[in-house]
Amino acid sequence: MSIRIGRVLATVVAIVVGLLVLADLFVSQWPNSFGGFSQIINVTGALLVSWAAIVIAFALFLGFANVISVHWTRIRSQKPGTIYSGILLLSLVGTLIVGFYSGGPNSYGSQLVFDFVLQPLEATFFALLAIFIAAAAFRAFRIRDLETFFFVLFAVIVLLGQVPLGIYLWPELPVIKDWILNVPTLAGVRGILLGVALGTIATGLRILIGADRPYTD
Amino acid sequence: MTGALLLATILLLLFVALLFLFIGRVRIGHEPMLRRISAFEALKGFTGRAVETGRPLHLSLGMGGVANETTADTLAGLSVLNYLAEQAAVTGVHPTVSMADPTAMLVAQNALKAAHGGDVQRTEAAYRNVRWIAPQPAAYAAGVMSLLNVDNVETNVMVGSFGDEYLLMGEAAVRQGTLHIGGTSDPNTLPFIYASAQETLLGEEIYAAGAYLQKQPAHLGSLLAQDTMRWIVALIILVGVVMASLG
Repeated sequence: MSIRIGRVLATVVAIVVGLLVLADLFVSQWPNSFGGFSQIINVTGALLVSWAAIVIAFALFLGFANVISVHWTRIRSQKPGTIYSGILLLSLVGTLIVGFYSGGPNSYGSQLVFDFVLQPLEATFFALLAIFIAAAAFRAFRIRDLETFFFVLFAVIVLLGQVPLGIYLWPELPVIKDWILNVPTLAGVRGILLGVALGTIATGLRILIGADRPYTD
Repeated sequence: MTGALLLATILLLLFVALLFLFIGRVRIGHEPMLRRISAFEALKGFTGRAVETGRPLHLSLGMGGVANETTADTLAGLSVLNYLAEQAAVTGVHPTVSMADPTAMLVAQNALKAAHGGDVQRTEAAYRNVRWIAPQPAAYAAGVMSLLNVDNVETNVMVGSFGDEYLLMGEAAVRQGTLHIGGTSDPNTLPFIYASAQETLLGEEIYAAGAYLQKQPAHLGSLLAQDTMRWIVALIILVGVVMASLG
């Protein structure tokens, strides 16, 4: 019984909060149409959004606990990759100590960790993307059927049209490349975006009317 | 009140009305015929493969959370999780679920708890396989690549919000020889998915997971409302083109 009451309460809260934030979006577009009512909606909407920020901060704390729990369990059970879990936990504790002793996330010590450890590692890692793109393109460019034939044909035209060599091969190549990017590609992308927009609205509305309740068990 | 905003309001209200209409129709037994999406068909066999091989199934919910503009993509990934969790409740093989946003972690844990009912032991076992990795794209990708390799993952499903980091994880799955399904709504990431995944969910297809995998009336109804709205919007665009052409 208490579980059912909890579900109903959660659903009511979700619907009311969702409608208030949605109303805030519309009311702020027409500030003079609703008088004092629009100000109440605006203030309530802003307050609810700021509460979301607090929930996110708390979720981050739980995520932190999850990382420690997963890797500590891995070390204790001596699963493969224990060494990596150990390094991860040591790095985590080390970064925390630097943060605490140097005076928070904006301190000189924390900035050193970000500028000389985290950022170079991220940049190095993303640099691998160039090789991965080449490998993926090599695999994708195998002609298996009519669809992949057109895929390869368009890709080759766009590739040659992008580089200076293309214009020497055939002066029309950059023009065709521009047409491919601006007409069929753009039309396809707009079609995808239209479908995505409708899907996003449908997902939101399902939650707003209480038909979909991912927040209850 | 501008004309564009008025039109948007009318379309939104129409969408809500259609949603109620179609969900009601599905609930009284008018179940629609859905076109075949091979990624969802393949997904249905993934849990069975994980049980047979004794190797884990990994689901990535991507970079998105449930408190920003990526919420719809994350909820699409959670629909896949709902299905896999239901299967896990029967088979006892829990999927490994990873995400970059901690709010998605909380909703994922909730989905697993719901699937296992009141079984505390199984819920705890399922919780142990939920992994929040890191909020930065590069760190998240590195974590998933390690997970695919170290845990010797059999089947890999990546549905949610992804950027360029997708390719790093997708290629790791290819090199590992993992069966791999990918899906996202970002058109810039779709070529990476097309190049690396065996089965793809392109754009809006990810939002159909609840309708295809679990046949939930709310999801089936919203799919029908979505399709009807697409026709209406296409018609409005056509009328606009004709009117603009005629001056």
